[in-house]
Amino acid sequence: MKKPKVDIAALPGASAREIDDRLQVATPLRRLFNKVFPDHWSFLLGEIALYSFIVLLLTGTFLALFFDPSMQEVVYNGSYVPLKGISMSRAYETTLNLSFDVRGGLIMRQMHHWAALLFMAAIVVHMLRVFFTGAFRKPRELNWIIGLSLFWLGFTEGFAGYSLPDDALSGTGLRIASAIMLSIPVVGSWVTTSLFNGEFPGQDILPRLYILHVLLVPAILLVLITVHMALLVKQKHTQWPGPGRTNHNVVGIRMFPAFSVKAGGFFMIVFGMIALLGGIFQINPIWLFGPYKAAVVSAASQPDWYVMFLDGSTRLMPPWEFRGSLFGYHYYTLPPLFWPTVVLPGILTVLPMLYPFMEARWNKDRQSHHLLQRPRDVPNRTALGAMAVSFYLVLTLSGGNDVIADKFHISLNAMTWAGRVGLLIIPPLAYYVTHRICLGLQQHDREVLAHGVETGIIKRLPDGRFMEIHQPLADVDHHGDGDGHGQLEYAGWVVPKKMNRVGALPPTERGFFRPVEDATQREDGHVPEMSAEEKHQAEILSGD
Amino acid sequence: MIAALALVGGIYAAFAPSTAASGEPVLDGAAKQGQLLYNDSCISCHGNNGQGVEGRGPSLIGVGSAAVEFQVTTGRMPATRQEAQAERKTPVFTDEQAQEIGAYIQALGGGPQLPEGTDLRGDNIAAGGELFRVNCSSCHSFGAGGGALSSGKFAPSLDESTDREMYAAMLTGPQNMPVFGDNQLSPQEKRDIIAYVQNMKAHADQGGLGIGRIGPVSEGLVIFLVGMVVLIFATLWIAGKS
Amino acid sequence: MTDTTHHAAGHAADEEFDADDPRMTRFDLVREGARRDGVEIVHYEPRFPVPGTRREKRIVRSLALMFLLVGLFATAFVVIYIAWPWHYSISNDNAKWFTPILGLTLGLSLALLGVAMITWGKKLLPEEIAVQDRHDGPSDSTEAKLTGQTILNMGDELGLKRRPVLGLAALAGLAPLGAVAAAPIIGGLIKDPHTTGPKLADGQKSSILTTTGWTPTEANPGPIALTREDGTKIRPEDVSVGGQMTVFPGIPGGASNEYADSPTLLIHLRDDDAAALEATLINENKGPVEGFNWKNYVAYSKICTHAGCPASLYEQQTNILLCPCHQSQFKITNNARPIFGPATRRLPMLPLALDPEGFFVAGIVQKDGSIVPSGYTVPVGPGFWERSDKIS
Repeated sequence: MKKPKVDIAALPGASAREIDDRLQVATPLRRLFNKVFPDHWSFLLGEIALYSFIVLLLTGTFLALFFDPSMQEVVYNGSYVPLKGISMSRAYETTLNLSFDVRGGLIMRQMHHWAALLFMAAIVVHMLRVFFTGAFRKPRELNWIIGLSLFWLGFTEGFAGYSLPDDALSGTGLRIASAIMLSIPVVGSWVTTSLFNGEFPGQDILPRLYILHVLLVPAILLVLITVHMALLVKQKHTQWPGPGRTNHNVVGIRMFPAFSVKAGGFFMIVFGMIALLGGIFQINPIWLFGPYKAAVVSAASQPDWYVMFLDGSTRLMPPWEFRGSLFGYHYYTLPPLFWPTVVLPGILTVLPMLYPFMEARWNKDRQSHHLLQRPRDVPNRTALGAMAVSFYLVLTLSGGNDVIADKFHISLNAMTWAGRVGLLIIPPLAYYVTHRICLGLQQHDREVLAHGVETGIIKRLPDGRFMEIHQPLADVDHHGDGDGHGQLEYAGWVVPKKMNRVGALPPTERGFFRPVEDATQREDGHVPEMSAEEKHQAEILSGD
Repeated sequence: MIAALALVGGIYAAFAPSTAASGEPVLDGAAKQGQLLYNDSCISCHGNNGQGVEGRGPSLIGVGSAAVEFQVTTGRMPATRQEAQAERKTPVFTDEQAQEIGAYIQALGGGPQLPEGTDLRGDNIAAGGELFRVNCSSCHSFGAGGGALSSGKFAPSLDESTDREMYAAMLTGPQNMPVFGDNQLSPQEKRDIIAYVQNMKAHADQGGLGIGRIGPVSEGLVIFLVGMVVLIFATLWIAGKS
Repeated sequence: MTDTTHHAAGHAADEEFDADDPRMTRFDLVREGARRDGVEIVHYEPRFPVPGTRREKRIVRSLALMFLLVGLFATAFVVIYIAWPWHYSISNDNAKWFTPILGLTLGLSLALLGVAMITWGKKLLPEEIAVQDRHDGPSDSTEAKLTGQTILNMGDELGLKRRPVLGLAALAGLAPLGAVAAAPIIGGLIKDPHTTGPKLADGQKSSILTTTGWTPTEANPGPIALTREDGTKIRPEDVSVGGQMTVFPGIPGGASNEYADSPTLLIHLRDDDAAALEATLINENKGPVEGFNWKNYVAYSKICTHAGCPASLYEQQTNILLCPCHQSQFKITNNARPIFGPATRRLPMLPLALDPEGFFVAGIVQKDGSIVPSGYTVPVGPGFWERSDKIS
């Protein structure tokens, strides 16, 4: 009997046919392959967050195999001598085990924590890019809202995550969280007692935070990230204005293979960066903090950086407490902690979500926008953004004001006052300065469009005047008084301002690691043809 | 009987610390050396016989040789200027001279003294750690890197502190540091705390570079200055400015 | 062109295209596929149209080297992971290198892989520019109308308009069902802070907001001794002048987190500072504070009244107690009143007394010398809505 031969070469084609028979994937798959993505470095920032999230899932799974969130008291008997014989919770003990008694446990812990910090940092930088370029406008308001939700979910997830080891630093943070809940009017004491199942700290908060951290919030995050990306695929990415780009097309590279190779490579780079950070920089050394005990605290106690702005707002808040009787019935207290930790984050959550609609209303703008705006071209929005960023920075720096006071020998009291005053003065100042800078940049763009690029060549005229030669960007208008103004309109994209950007001079340095001497040594061996105009310019500039 | 009384009285008179600040105390060799050094340097702020000068330096009666040793071996004294808090600097006197000045001040007004011998390091690091975290870390921080106090004062870093300096500081409570007498922290407990701190300083960080051991502030700086900067440069390389 | 005509023109072009035409090159087919997906490839330039140039070979060689290095570092990672003496012990100096070396090898391996992939993409893949139509904007108006009418028809089919009673009944029935869904989560979680405290000495229920480990309860009627962390009682001479000690209630588990609101700071003031404090207390003698200090000793709650961190940075010369979390500062000689920072209430004072054996206990000394057990007389820790004591 003849043995049935398996034709290896035809295997891929045969499998594809089998799949297509069942699922009809030919057209949708090709549609996916051919999807066009625009190419700009600032469009890759969101990917950093996405890849960090994947690393978080991977490392988190490993950690979950060894971590026990129980708050039951045990006596430590592991390898770390300075804590031997000390009583601690099981959660802290298993974290110590991961750090000292599980092979590779410490680097997994550190990678997990660094990935979390990177996730939040990438979200913030990505959010700023989206804001300053106007990518949140119609039709992308929903994606903007989802993105903000991702920030706050990541915030919650990170807080729950670093509280799980039950060390003295994060335990203090939990204490403050309990006080924050307590400060809520009317229901505060009920909220904290219910969440902690009794008085702080109780026995249940860590197991509850654990389920929040490994099940509930990651599930919501996964769903929202999927929707975020799906909207991006459906609505297609925005792009910068430029040659060939309109509000109705996308100019760039196709998804496969060009874009995927770059995206996949970037994934590896981000992953590699997290691994390098996780190995080289120690993070959250809980063995130095000891287990959480209510009487223990450290100087320089801060939450992770993305929560630090709330620590700052709490430190700067003046001692304004409202007390009084309501309707003559009972005497009530509204602690000052309520405003900087409940009201402020509430405002900071809702206001940015409404911003796209508010801006559209102010500008009476109901159109869909797929072309981005340079920050300088929208000075009001850019200045507003600078104001928000400076507000956030003052708060975050104030969250570390005791470290700054100690390391730079500044009075702690002075740092607090500097923060209070700075919070009120610096944002309006930032608004004003940014607005002026935007206007200045806009003016310079138009000046170069009208008068041409400065060549740096000074010419002396026969009557003794000195003037600089400008290289016009287009045909010069010789009508009328012939003052040489160009006819170009500003098109919303970068105006070349240096001679090597208009092709009149070779760019400053070619080649990445070694400078390349002349055009014939370009990477692909392609020698560009100089136009007559360029040759003429080169003659002038050669000085012969 | 009278002879016994006289003997006891004589012995007492010989060995009792002088309570009369104005009178010349009886000084032995080290204390005599110390007096010479004191009259050269310390007397300008701390006055004749350690009585103190209003607005310049407090009285040293009763501070003990331990306090003197701490202040002088860390270079804090002689102070170069009036400020919120004296800072550690290069010591002017050698350790031996510091002990001599200490002996003089001890003779003047008594006070806490460092224990005999040079072994001030205990062997129960874990117990020392527990005590450190309850009593010391709130000002000196978990990693013993120091911390800010109110209005320009600070709890210094313990990076350069020797066993003797730490023991003396706990015993005497220099400037705004609370006093941890031997009834509160027994000599053994003090030794254990010293063992814990020195062990923490000597043993390298297990997770790589310690970046100051001050927690989220430096971690936040690293993620932006190292992580995000490198990654943004990577994005510029990958996609450029098209 | 509107979307529909564009679509129609596209369909016509689709039908004209013959994929089996032998004159079609592969790239022609690719171009046609892209066109059907709304993508026009406007620029497509292979980087090395002529195979075997020196430049191409150089790039291939460097890529190959990168991939080899990726494998090398990855192998190094595995080898070190298995073979390195990683286990922590006091004498093992090599353990501290385990994590950094793992991070370096893994990081370099992955980063190099990324660099190799991107270099491949940038240097070897063809240079291309493609343009895709967005096809954005609202749906075709006819389509929109059809969908809208379909939805309205659904409403008609359900017939709620004709049968209003049905709708109302459904709502009336479903609302409580919604409560059923919410009940276990909310009901199961909710805990009343006002009645779930420990049972007091007189059998009454207490609120967790106003009781601490120092409160005399049925289980621990007191007077409760001040103890160190290990449970040993405290005599006055244990705390030096200018010193402070953290003390806990002398009850089972008193030093543990079970009584997280009970850590107390016992301070031994100097004579003049103690006199200043006494003057303040006499001045304030309107409320519950009635000179609860014992000679020069005073005990204040360590739990900051701002957000609950232990306020433990005691400056013995300025008598300022600083809380490290948000920099609230309390002046001890002014009855621990906040003088800086966000705190608004003074630290509660624990009434101090000396029991017959000479140990500190928490209680109020009566005129006849007897001690009435007492914990804090005001709530400890951060403020809350129901807090009705008017003094601060």
